[in-house]
Amino acid sequence: MNEIQYIGEHLLPGILGNFFIKFGFVASLLAALSYFFAVKKQNQPDFESWRKIGRLSFLLHGISVFIVIGAIFYAMMNKYYEYQYVWAHVSEELPLKYILSAFWEGQEGSFLLWMFWHVILGVIILLKGKQWEAPVLAVLAIIQAFIFSMILGIYIGDFKLGSSPLLLLREIPDWMELPLFNNADYVSLIKGNGLNPLLQNYWMTIHPPTLFLGFASTSIPFCYAIAGLWTGQHKEMAKTVLSWALFSGAILGTGILMGGVWAYEALTFGGYWAWDPVENMSLVPWIVLVAGIHTNLIAKSTNYSYKTTYIFYILTFLLILYSTFLTRSGVLGESSVHAFTEMGLEWQLVSFIGFFLLLSIILYFSKQKSIPVPKDEEATPSKEFWMFIGSLVLLFSAAMITASTSLPVYNKIMDFFNPGFEGLTITEPIEHFNKYQLWIGVFIGLISGSTQFLRYKEFNWKGHSKKFINHLIISAVGALILTILCSLWIEFVAWQYWLLLFAGSFAIVSNLDYLISFAKGNLKQAASVISHVGFGIMILGVMASGLNKQHISTNPAVQAGLLEGEMLEKNVMLFKGMPMFMSGYEVTYQRDTFINKERYFNVNYKKLGKEGEITEEFNVTPSALYDNKGMKVAAYNPSTKHYLHKDIFTHIPTIPLREADVMEAQKFEDTLTYERYDLIIDKPLEIKDTLQSRLGPQLVSTKTTLIGINKNPEHPDYEPQKGDLAIGVKLAFQKEDTTFYAEPVMVIRDQLLYNYPVQMNDLSMKVRLTEEAINAVYTPEETLDYQSFILKNGDFIFLNGNRIEFKGFDKNAKHPNYQKEEEDIAIGSIFEVSNEAGQRFNATPLYLIRGRSPFNFKDEIYELGLHFRFVSIDPNTESIEVMIAQKEKTKVIPIDLSKRSFRTDYIILETIVFPGINLVWLGSIMMMLGLGIGMYIRRKQNKVMAA
Amino acid sequence: MKKIHLVAIVMIAVAIGLLTTASGDMSTYSNFSEAIESGEKVKIAGQLAKDKEMYYDPEVDPNYFSFYVEDAEGLQKKVVLNAAKPQDFELSEQIVLTGMMKGEEFMASDMLMKCPSKYKDEEIYVKSQEGSL
Repeated sequence: MNEIQYIGEHLLPGILGNFFIKFGFVASLLAALSYFFAVKKQNQPDFESWRKIGRLSFLLHGISVFIVIGAIFYAMMNKYYEYQYVWAHVSEELPLKYILSAFWEGQEGSFLLWMFWHVILGVIILLKGKQWEAPVLAVLAIIQAFIFSMILGIYIGDFKLGSSPLLLLREIPDWMELPLFNNADYVSLIKGNGLNPLLQNYWMTIHPPTLFLGFASTSIPFCYAIAGLWTGQHKEMAKTVLSWALFSGAILGTGILMGGVWAYEALTFGGYWAWDPVENMSLVPWIVLVAGIHTNLIAKSTNYSYKTTYIFYILTFLLILYSTFLTRSGVLGESSVHAFTEMGLEWQLVSFIGFFLLLSIILYFSKQKSIPVPKDEEATPSKEFWMFIGSLVLLFSAAMITASTSLPVYNKIMDFFNPGFEGLTITEPIEHFNKYQLWIGVFIGLISGSTQFLRYKEFNWKGHSKKFINHLIISAVGALILTILCSLWIEFVAWQYWLLLFAGSFAIVSNLDYLISFAKGNLKQAASVISHVGFGIMILGVMASGLNKQHISTNPAVQAGLLEGEMLEKNVMLFKGMPMFMSGYEVTYQRDTFINKERYFNVNYKKLGKEGEITEEFNVTPSALYDNKGMKVAAYNPSTKHYLHKDIFTHIPTIPLREADVMEAQKFEDTLTYERYDLIIDKPLEIKDTLQSRLGPQLVSTKTTLIGINKNPEHPDYEPQKGDLAIGVKLAFQKEDTTFYAEPVMVIRDQLLYNYPVQMNDLSMKVRLTEEAINAVYTPEETLDYQSFILKNGDFIFLNGNRIEFKGFDKNAKHPNYQKEEEDIAIGSIFEVSNEAGQRFNATPLYLIRGRSPFNFKDEIYELGLHFRFVSIDPNTESIEVMIAQKEKTKVIPIDLSKRSFRTDYIILETIVFPGINLVWLGSIMMMLGLGIGMYIRRKQNKVMAA
Repeated sequence: MKKIHLVAIVMIAVAIGLLTTASGDMSTYSNFSEAIESGEKVKIAGQLAKDKEMYYDPEVDPNYFSFYVEDAEGLQKKVVLNAAKPQDFELSEQIVLTGMMKGEEFMASDMLMKCPSKYKDEEIYVKSQEGSL
């Protein structure tokens, strides 16, 4: 086959990007190697030159990452759809502000985001790391090489190494043979898919970078741990790494928290945490990291727990890799809602984990003996002992979550050895996880509170025990009071929750007590207090919002006797403008508005007092987001009313199919049958219909009256323009005692007909006009028989019994179809007409000279069927030529009426109250804040010590 | 570090104990005939029977959605979900249902759908047919 010379392709970003992917990969390997030798040659003359090469290659690899990102961005901004990644994530309609989100929507982009943060963190260590620079960056460079390999896109025989983000569509193996690529100009024929509408919000802009900074930051404690084992500088390692670990804990935690807030604010399952595998596997590394921070603190203060600190930091990173594997390999399959699509990189991801797992194990066991271990056992009533127990509880929690979440992996492995193995699944995942993690919460609450009162390296327990016990009692009593107070607010369904509530309260009270009586406001201790109090508050919030969440949107009338137990009704149907009472609220769907592709539904909630006065009122606007083509609803966004003590969460699970899908609306419109009715002004017409109802067929009669014709009609969908020929027909429909009004509109614009029908929801009718109606009102010119007259001012003629008098000129004449331009010469001629009955009418046709050409605009006396055209003017004789025609109006206006057009002006509504949800946010934020403050203080201290 | 070892042993024992009880939370994917037999709550993976009727009329009841699912054994049953019809339900490739049989109907308390991924098997969207020359 001949090579096709493709036109319109932009190959530069691809060539550049692909080159720098390979270059960056090699540079990171070189950086790893050079730094490795730099460590080997520590304190030798070669050291400096190895470090120099290491630095240079690390920087070059960093620049490569930036160039690759830049190349992809460039292709995305310019919408070069010949690139698969651009085609998959960008579209014509995608606003520029979502380009970032589109960039990291895909796997390749998120790998690059991860690398980007590694580069930033790496450069900080390069500048500030001192003796740690070489060993830490050697490890980080290997990590970077591994991630680079994921986007290499090299084929070694049949084996694919990575998948390049700058692949052209025509280079995709499965697509190469598509006939499309026989066309040299295929580029002009394709357009992009665009960003999933669900992801088009600001969360998608801020959540992934935060989370990936969190991911990337866990690499640093890992690198330090490897470096510490490697160089044997265990104590220095424990001192230096702590602030990095605290930083990582704060950022990763914030990233996870943002995910929860996003889920709660923008997704529709009505909650912030669903124990989804992807959520779990980002939480687990964080839990282990927090455990590591605690053992690190022990190591720093007492020399115990160095080994566990190493293990925890290494484990944190390995769990991040495992989480990457789970979310990106497709192994989660049906058990997760937000896993990435498969990229065929499973084995590469497995070897990524395998390499670092082996490296860690080998290094740990070969260096184990050099790790300091104090001879004596720690004292039972010492701080380090109980902090260690707490860390073990955290590890335990992480292990439980990981084990349950890994079930799909277990299934896959079993299936590999034993084909036909029936996969296991957790029947009720949320209950399952809650049941076990509840006990973790109880232990952590109690330990984190009481351990604060203990001292490191306790050597005088007798002297301290009294104080310890006193404060324990104070805290327990305080916690009990708080528990009882909370129980007035939160309803409990099982005794375990009491325990958890007590543990949470205990964490709060004891830590506050500690702050006041022991730490006395010391900021360093305050950081831990803030985090632990935050944990307690979060526990209270989780219980309040989880146990007592309640559906407002229930309609007792509908659900009576239909259901039982867990299948509680959650949704109600709400008609536009028709208030409905539910759980004490009067809820009204007031209106809907389109802004871009999002349709907002205004829903009003009112709570009425005894006197009928409004005691509470608020509006929310849940919305339906249409797809990129604006054809179909792609997602629904909830809307929440926030109070300090509760949230009222409103969400629309669905709207009528015809409202949600343009195609369905069209399909329905096509199946509607219209009947023709001829109406005469002021003569009511009775329209009869037989309806099927529960009581059998019923005869319904509607009296229809034509009230009038409107030449300047209004209709919600019609925007008048100059030159439009528009009519509206005012109609009244009387059914029993109620009269409904409607004004269908038809418009001729640029010789095209536009129809604006009216749906009458209360009658289930739809009415529209036809061309015949417009012809009946505006007589078509070709049917008119004009006569020409030459008239002077004051002249009059008789036509079919009408006296028509020329009353002179109007130099400021206006005409609905005439739009004034400069240098126009426009003159109106005024005619007064009186008919045989003595009624008087006026007409002002217009004569216009524009650019030396004459034009005229006709006028019409509708009631008499008289048409006037002012065609020329003779300045010499001061006479004008006017053409006049008369045609009898048909009195009959035909309308089309469908009697089976059911209403679609309703929404389905789900409303949930979350009491105390703000405690969840407050508590979680405090936890992260405590970590952040801890980091800040330690960094300052290290600086002071170094100085 | 005897104390710590003791604690570790206790924890491992508790872990084993918990995992044993946790296995009660787990089950293999069931099918309709087992669900009929046991009458218990089960998890069924199956496919939407696209040729059978799908019913959702919010004007009658916004919390009633019924459809037919074919399980791994090829048995088709009517499934009732007491919730609104989910977005893009028709497109689902695989459905995982949690619930129990009630008479001839499977009452689902929870449902997870797997929709075709955004790119898999998707044809390149071509503006006009000229591309296939």
